[in-house]
Amino acid sequence: MLQYWTAILTEAAIFSVLALGIDMIWGWAGDFDLSAYAYFALGIYMTIVLTVGKAKSPVEYVLGLRLPYPLAVFIAVVVVVAFASIIGAIALRSLREVYFSITTLGAVWAIYYLVENFTPLFNGYNGVYGLFDPMGGGLSYAAYHYLFLGFCLLALFVVYLMVQRLSRSPFGRMVRAVRDDERAASVYGRNVFWAKYRTYLFGAGLAGFAGGLFAAYIGAFNPLDWKPTEIFVLYAAILVGGRGNPRGVVLGSFIVYVGFVEMTRYIPSPAARPELGPALRQILIGLLIILMLKFRPSGLLPERLGTDGTVPRRSWRGLLSRSKPLSLAGEVESTADSPEGTAT
Amino acid sequence: MSAAPLLEIEGISKSFGGVVAVDNCSMTIREGTVVGLIGPNGAGKSSVIDLVSGFERPERGSVRFAGVEVVGKRPDAISRMGLIRTFQTPREWRDLSVIDNVRVGHSDLKRETIWRSLRFGHSMRREEDAETEELRVLMTHYRLDGVRNDRAVGLSGGQKRLLEFARIAAAKPRLTILDEPMGGVNPVLGERIGEAIRELKKAGSTVVVVEHNLPFIERTCDEVVVMDLGSVIAQGPFAELRDNKRVVDAYLGNDDE
Repeated sequence: MLQYWTAILTEAAIFSVLALGIDMIWGWAGDFDLSAYAYFALGIYMTIVLTVGKAKSPVEYVLGLRLPYPLAVFIAVVVVVAFASIIGAIALRSLREVYFSITTLGAVWAIYYLVENFTPLFNGYNGVYGLFDPMGGGLSYAAYHYLFLGFCLLALFVVYLMVQRLSRSPFGRMVRAVRDDERAASVYGRNVFWAKYRTYLFGAGLAGFAGGLFAAYIGAFNPLDWKPTEIFVLYAAILVGGRGNPRGVVLGSFIVYVGFVEMTRYIPSPAARPELGPALRQILIGLLIILMLKFRPSGLLPERLGTDGTVPRRSWRGLLSRSKPLSLAGEVESTADSPEGTAT
Repeated sequence: MSAAPLLEIEGISKSFGGVVAVDNCSMTIREGTVVGLIGPNGAGKSSVIDLVSGFERPERGSVRFAGVEVVGKRPDAISRMGLIRTFQTPREWRDLSVIDNVRVGHSDLKRETIWRSLRFGHSMRREEDAETEELRVLMTHYRLDGVRNDRAVGLSGGQKRLLEFARIAAAKPRLTILDEPMGGVNPVLGERIGEAIRELKKAGSTVVVVEHNLPFIERTCDEVVVMDLGSVIAQGPFAELRDNKRVVDAYLGNDDE
């Protein structure tokens, strides 16, 4: 049981890192990106082929190096960012909203079928695998997994601090201004494409890093078990936690991964219909998205407003209060019609 | 009043489809003045603003801002030279707080790199906290003190107009172009907006105002440019234009033609 929890928490920590990256692109910059899953997968593939050594026939893949794990993850992130710079340059130049999403969806499926069918790249639909042990093999199986959980939690913590700092910085504010009104942002001297592009590359880099962690965790990856549609679970996690709020995104990832994805495994399926359980899980996640959008569209921890410091911070307390809808619903009623209004 | 020209527009033209919106239009705006840009609907006023601020590119002609040719530059590049424009409807950043709207107007763009935000996050936050007092005074001045920590989307129409002025005042542009700042505004608030324009001038900005309210133009502007059918038909002090036959015809229609 303890090992089971170790596994779930490791997974949740890794997916939190991925969700933080996706939230930068969607929550901050407002671009509903569907190719983030490709960056995650590419991060996994690159890390594996850079660490497991030469391919032995009939398995085939590129590179096949034996680099130290940290170096491999670093190179994987660089490759992912380079790759995202191409897709981002095409998709962000002039496409917005649903047109942007369709372009990134096209990109992710093109990559998916390329990887699945072009075996010299990453061994096609059989996928790449290789047991590798970043710690050098001196530990027992259980001890290694506890240690790796600790490592993932530490990585998540560092990434969270970084993203949180960026979120509250002038950069985070400027990117959100671009999201809310591009024309007004360019009137105030902001280069809209460059603002979105930088955010996109940073988010893609985080997705690649999450892939590097995940590679060490499962040690194998194939395109049949991991379809690009898995990304909607992450969007559900962001919606539940709070789009645009890094703390909310981490909270939502843990809730969705521990609460939904794992717990619903225990839903019994009749012996004759074993596929019912997993299907029910997808249905529940769909239902969760709908209910959150209906009753709490800005998530458990809504995006934090920048204040002048005279307002008491409401972070965890925000969980209990009803949130104001964020962009998704109509105009919020004015809180002060008179100039004197509600001075704090 | 014989200040150097800040904005020189020479013979610009632009058509949309088959419609000629701006036709060989020329005007000069001198530094330190408040200029009213008037003309009937469809005269090309808003199109000229789009051409000057880089949102549209003229087919012919040149636009020089502070002596530099700006045709072909992107809107953000022109803005960084010191030109800020507004649109007919207020464009606030809806999910930012009111004070953050003003902070974006005020902020030094050099702060907004990822590297600086990560490396100097704390010291930049301290710098911004030090500026907050100044911005609070500014917001009180524009009657936004009660809502400064609220989401901008919740403001009333008039408050959004005032937020626009607070944002411009924080950005301290060299040239401000206002496209119908009085649209949908009641007379009392209209007075406040007139005052805001004079304050912009006092703060050192040259102002161009597009407006249909002629008494307002008369009270607020040093000089008036009249456009009709895509080009300038008159330019001068308001009093002189009152008796100009072409101006009167353009506004009221001429039965003889």
